[in-house]
Amino acid sequence: MSTVIIDNTVDVPGRRAPLVLNHSDFGSVTRDICQVNESPRPPKAWTIAFVIAAAWAGFFGMLIGYLIFTGVGVWGNNNPVMWAFDITNFVFWVGIGHAGTLISAILFLFRQKWRTGINRFAEAMTIFAVICAGTFPGIHIGRVWAAYWLFPIPNQMQMWPQFRSPLLWDVFAVGTYFTVSLVFWYMGMIPDLATLRDRANTKLKAILYGLFSLGWRGSNRHWHRYERAYLLLAALSTPLVLSVHSVVSFDFAVSQVPGWHTTIFPPYFVAGAIFSGFAMVVTLAVPARAIFGLQDFITMRHLENMNKVILLTGCMVGFAYSMEMFIAWYSGSMYEKFAFINRAFGQYWWAYWIMVSCNVITPQIFWFKWVRTSVPIMFAASLLVNVGMWFERFVIIVTSLAQDFLPSSWGYYKPTWVDICMLIGSFGLFCTLFLLFMRYLPVIAMAEVKGVMPQANPHAHHGGQHHEEARLEKEVAHV
Amino acid sequence: MPSVSQPHTSDQPAVATACGASTQTAAPAAAREGKSYWRSIDDLADTPEFREFVHREFPNAAGDLLESTDRRQFLKIMSASLALAGAGGLAGCRRWPETKLAPYAHRPADRAPGHPVHYATSMDFAGVGAGLLVTSYDGRPIKIEGNPQHPVNQGATTLAMQAAILDMYDQDRSRHPINVGKESTWAEFSAWAKSHFDALANGRSGGTGLAFLAEASSSPSVQAMKQRVVARFPSATWHEFEAIHNDSVVQGATMAFGDGAYRLLYDFSAAKTVVSFDDDFLGAGTPASVKWTRDFAAGRACDNGAEPSRLYCVEGIVSLTGANADHRLAVRNSDVARLVAWLASQLGVSGVPASLATLDVRSLAAKADLEKVMQHLVQDLKGRGPSIVLVGDRQPPEVHLLGHLINRALGNFGRAITAAKIDGAQGHVAAIKSLAEKINSGAVQTLVLLGGNPVYNAPADLDFAGLIKKTPTCIHLSDYDDETSRACAAAGGSGWHVNRAHFLEAWGDVRAADGTWGITQPLIIPMFDGKTAAELLSLIANEPVTTSYEITRAVFAANVNSGVVGDAEGRWRQALHDGFVQGSGFAAGAAPEVVGSDPAQHFAALEQRLAASSGEFEVAFTPDAGIYDGRLANNGWLQELPDPIAKLTWDNAVMISAGRARSLGVKSGDMVTLTVGGKSVTAAAMIIPGTHNDVANLALGYGRGEACGRVGKDAGFDFYPLRTSSAMGFAPATIAKASGSYVLATTQDHHPIDSFPAGVGTQERLPTLFAEADLGHYREHPEFAKHHTHVVTRLSLFPEDHPFQTEMIGADGEFVGEYAWGMSIDLNACTGCNACVIACQAENNIAIVGKEQVKRGREMHWIRIDRYFKGSDETNPSGFVLQPVNCMQCENAPCEQVCPVAATTHDANGLNVMVYNRCIGTRYCSNNCPYKVRRFNYFDWWGRGPLREQPGVMLQVEPDYYLKGQAKADPMRQMAMNPEVTIRMRGIMEKCTYCVQRIMRARIDTKNQWVRDKNLKPDDPKVQDRKVRIPDQSFTTACAAACPARAIVFGDLNDRTSKIKAMHKHPRTYEMLEELNTKPRTRYMARIRNPAFSAEHSGEQGGHGAPAQTTTNTGGHG
Repeated sequence: MSTVIIDNTVDVPGRRAPLVLNHSDFGSVTRDICQVNESPRPPKAWTIAFVIAAAWAGFFGMLIGYLIFTGVGVWGNNNPVMWAFDITNFVFWVGIGHAGTLISAILFLFRQKWRTGINRFAEAMTIFAVICAGTFPGIHIGRVWAAYWLFPIPNQMQMWPQFRSPLLWDVFAVGTYFTVSLVFWYMGMIPDLATLRDRANTKLKAILYGLFSLGWRGSNRHWHRYERAYLLLAALSTPLVLSVHSVVSFDFAVSQVPGWHTTIFPPYFVAGAIFSGFAMVVTLAVPARAIFGLQDFITMRHLENMNKVILLTGCMVGFAYSMEMFIAWYSGSMYEKFAFINRAFGQYWWAYWIMVSCNVITPQIFWFKWVRTSVPIMFAASLLVNVGMWFERFVIIVTSLAQDFLPSSWGYYKPTWVDICMLIGSFGLFCTLFLLFMRYLPVIAMAEVKGVMPQANPHAHHGGQHHEEARLEKEVAHV
Repeated sequence: MPSVSQPHTSDQPAVATACGASTQTAAPAAAREGKSYWRSIDDLADTPEFREFVHREFPNAAGDLLESTDRRQFLKIMSASLALAGAGGLAGCRRWPETKLAPYAHRPADRAPGHPVHYATSMDFAGVGAGLLVTSYDGRPIKIEGNPQHPVNQGATTLAMQAAILDMYDQDRSRHPINVGKESTWAEFSAWAKSHFDALANGRSGGTGLAFLAEASSSPSVQAMKQRVVARFPSATWHEFEAIHNDSVVQGATMAFGDGAYRLLYDFSAAKTVVSFDDDFLGAGTPASVKWTRDFAAGRACDNGAEPSRLYCVEGIVSLTGANADHRLAVRNSDVARLVAWLASQLGVSGVPASLATLDVRSLAAKADLEKVMQHLVQDLKGRGPSIVLVGDRQPPEVHLLGHLINRALGNFGRAITAAKIDGAQGHVAAIKSLAEKINSGAVQTLVLLGGNPVYNAPADLDFAGLIKKTPTCIHLSDYDDETSRACAAAGGSGWHVNRAHFLEAWGDVRAADGTWGITQPLIIPMFDGKTAAELLSLIANEPVTTSYEITRAVFAANVNSGVVGDAEGRWRQALHDGFVQGSGFAAGAAPEVVGSDPAQHFAALEQRLAASSGEFEVAFTPDAGIYDGRLANNGWLQELPDPIAKLTWDNAVMISAGRARSLGVKSGDMVTLTVGGKSVTAAAMIIPGTHNDVANLALGYGRGEACGRVGKDAGFDFYPLRTSSAMGFAPATIAKASGSYVLATTQDHHPIDSFPAGVGTQERLPTLFAEADLGHYREHPEFAKHHTHVVTRLSLFPEDHPFQTEMIGADGEFVGEYAWGMSIDLNACTGCNACVIACQAENNIAIVGKEQVKRGREMHWIRIDRYFKGSDETNPSGFVLQPVNCMQCENAPCEQVCPVAATTHDANGLNVMVYNRCIGTRYCSNNCPYKVRRFNYFDWWGRGPLREQPGVMLQVEPDYYLKGQAKADPMRQMAMNPEVTIRMRGIMEKCTYCVQRIMRARIDTKNQWVRDKNLKPDDPKVQDRKVRIPDQSFTTACAAACPARAIVFGDLNDRTSKIKAMHKHPRTYEMLEELNTKPRTRYMARIRNPAFSAEHSGEQGGHGAPAQTTTNTGGHG
């Protein structure tokens, strides 16, 4: 565990900032990361968080039972507003799920080495967020017991699903995304699982980690196959990052509801998803590195980089909001115009302005470096961005439905206690899974982190930073 | 039109199976009571075989059976009845000794299980009869339609008629007589009554101390029995009372004609100008509203050069009539008289004092506007041909006199108005006051209440509950153990409640609004062994005829002497078949000359009356648009039916103007206290634009607490305490803000009224949703409705046909294609009366969801009436828009494209069908439906309790919902179901199907008829191959059938001669939200207004009309 604070956020031209601090050998890296799993007792903060999260997760399960046995009416959904918290939560969680795969796949392909410090738990976050996301469309339908009709399974009814429906595309998009993300995450974890297996001090750990490390021995051939597969999966995941939220946005864009029927939705949703995903990574990374003492691996540089992404995607989202307004005016359609004026000044004006202030105004503070590198401020900002992104989906879904074409059918949606508790409960489920992951699985990709340490450079015979710098200088001179 | 299915075959008496069924009541009753009473079947009751049969088949009374049986068990009983009636040769009830009992091994002729049969019958509502045609399904009446042949109904119905079927199956109906709070039986009651009335008759006094208070009844049987009672008890007094009555009309007629016993019959189709002074003749509270709405709609015809009528309405509240008016003036109710007087003086009625005849009244419109309208009114009345000047029941009798004088001056009597002499009419308020005086003087020992609920709705100053306490013996015949029955029981002594038979359970007769003699024919055995008023009276009169059947026949035989068929039996059969006696209406002629005393004296009285009743603020009492005077309060359909103007469900409210609300500082839902003559009621206020600032509209009938039953329990506010015998129409009052607020559940404007977008976004889109124009504009631009679209049209890039609309007639004229069902709604005819909404609910087993769920926006109506206020003035809107909206059955349906499981698809006839079994309830279809006509089953509506959930209960559902589960749904509610329509479970979507079950029924019937006509064998290949076209207009949807205005037309668009095809080609026809390219099959016909001059608001209204805007529309029609 490090005690020295090194500022690795300064960019010196021609010089790479160190990504791992206070570690000069691989052994200490392994030790410091594995202590998260191997310490005899989890930190007190972990235990408290876990108890709270698990209680909410359990309550979430009970509420699902109540919903299924009683009917969708336990929610506040009504006649014009047929979708409300249910689909809001779905889109929100799917959006959260974007950062992980983006970090692990797209940044991998772009050779962004700083990704290694955060990719493992960002991917875990993805998996758990998609689990939470998948829950809501599954239970929001009126007859849960017939949900399998959404899948193209040969059946005695000789019925296929209706392939023109975006909801069906959702099933495929989210299903594919979840499967590929899970495989990618698990495969990336195999070398580290083998490390834990090798260091296991109880039989049970040895068996379980041994089982899941699939006989990894770290041979040259293993590494060769592993790297190939990892690259292939990264290539496979990359389009999915873009596709899944595009498809989710089709749920709205393909319909003709004013406020939904918008061609800007796919890129806007993807940008929003990355925005919220990175905010969630920050939200999770800040306490996690503190609790488990991982500041050397998740450094300020990592956090700052993520804040930069948040700033960029926040601006993209803000641009999308203004474009929506412009197009609504430019379209000449009174329904579109009304939908957007109504969003900003209608009965849900508060939701709209929460959304704008959290998503557009809040990230602007990241133009300042001292803000980007301030842990408390970035933590608060990331929470606000999460709130704002939840409200973005709420605004899109609920305000558009509440007042569409016929004024006679306009309505007002108010959540019930079940709506609110299920939203909190989904966070409980997410946090429970994430806390379990933190404690029992390698939270940082040890093998990859080692790969970006200077010591891993095959040309650095004597190890150490000086040599690396020298090499870089040499290369620069060469050019 | 469904055919009337009797008489059956020639050798069988033309008596309904239902009649046979009704004899089954006689059987157990006879078995229990012995021959002393059921003398007509003495012989049979004595035979051991029969006794055995009764005990085997009906071990208990049918009512008791029903309480604990499920639908299957019920059907078993019914099929036993059918077997009896059918196999026994369908004996008339009086012939039942000849009945042979046989198992149901052979199907009786003309009786196919599962094939609905229609019976003509009649209903008596508030003293006015109606001709109905009831659909019976395996012995269960399930649907009420108007009798197509009946001169008043002509196939159409009002709300109360549609909802009567649910009343019969109401689980809260009283199931047995009650004696001083103890459950009793008819046998006990009749034994007691016999001795009681015998003692009374044998006394020397001739019935002194006996009084009757009856609700209005048009029934000749009741009249006949009343005469027998009076003959037996010469000193008994008879009083008639209805809370909603026409005393003013009667008194006004007395002043005008010297005799109040004239019923004026209006022909709105002949009138070119109609003036309503506070008379809601289109509203549901009017007895003849079916006929009047039909005639009025016919008079509005404007196509092919027809000159439509012009409707003026002067009123303080907003009534349906006012909402349909070309010119509406909002003045106080007490000022209406002044405008009538002014009009009379302008039209040359002499003797009207100048102080009365003034236009100087407080009006929502500017004074100049009011004068302008009134001047035009004078011109129109003078120059536009026949007219009708109507004065409402609320107005004082002198105003009615003025109305008669105006009509006389205009020469309307004999043209658009005829008068018929009827039997003597008694003033209702005078009648109940005289009864009160009699009771107070201790002169009443026995009070017989035939129906009615005076403890609840008698004038408050009489304190009727107190009067009951002063009467030693009270007998109340009623459907429910209601306020009056409880008061009778609580009064001690020998208070009785006797449960009444529903009109679908018993024989009877009625006189319709035009006097037509109608027969009430039962369709089911009395479920709870109830009795009719005539039966009770015959018991009191100690008459030899005791059953409703015997009474009805005897009265019929004594009174109906002519008919198509010569002999008495033939006349009876014919009347039974038709449901009414042809040509038995009142002989109407011109009203008699005015013979009354000097009108000037009445005008002086009127001035005094107005001076006495004038105040800063006043309340007007109106019948509720759904539950009438409160008698229908336990009817869930009517409770959940949105008020036509307020869109309020499950409650009433103090309806005030926006201006008054502002000055009081209240919003809709805030409590206000009304004080009338020292009595106060605190109730929720509701803002209704168009109401006069100094008027509150109080709908009666609510606030009955738990006395009305579980459904209407605790609904609304009781305004009867404010209504005294001196001011039954309107009364000066004070209004003040009270503390607290109340939740009002409306089906429109769910959002907070005060938030920013209320009204914003509505006015600009009204022209595209609801096309209307003034007559002049329509004459210049007949196709204006097709060019109303203001917004970008979403046209396809590819040429699109209407894929289902190709008529296919084979070489030999054979129909080889498919149907293309379509609907047309003529907004020029529709008055927004709501009859279609209830008809649809009754036909399609549509659930009621309760107030809490309506508040959440989860009402289930498949057809709704959209209501908009026009203009930007929230106090005084420039117009009202009422538009029925059901599923448009889009050819390019947005709902279908987004359903992931293909649960909503198109069928070969172009119907947008909903496959309930396939639906998983993603609700995406509803989100994508621009018309928002889809309804989702958020809960298992059928498994829930009676639906008035307690606010604040965390789980928001009745606790017994969990205990009972859906398996134990109320068996009586199940019986009211139409078996041809699926009961939807929770979690699935539903919507209008164009009554697909009726379409399928018509297809089957047409094909079967064709096969029979051709004498083909069933296995003939032609039978398989041939398609037979259903004749146009041979059937229609439930909404279209019920519509009194005939605004809804349904038919096959592939038939080029069909009515619907002509409608869809009509210049006035347009598609709602045409710009979305949904290609709706339901199309609207634009409304044509006929104002005397263009309103000042025409600039803002004129979006639809102005030619300049026609040219700027963005296309999509080319």
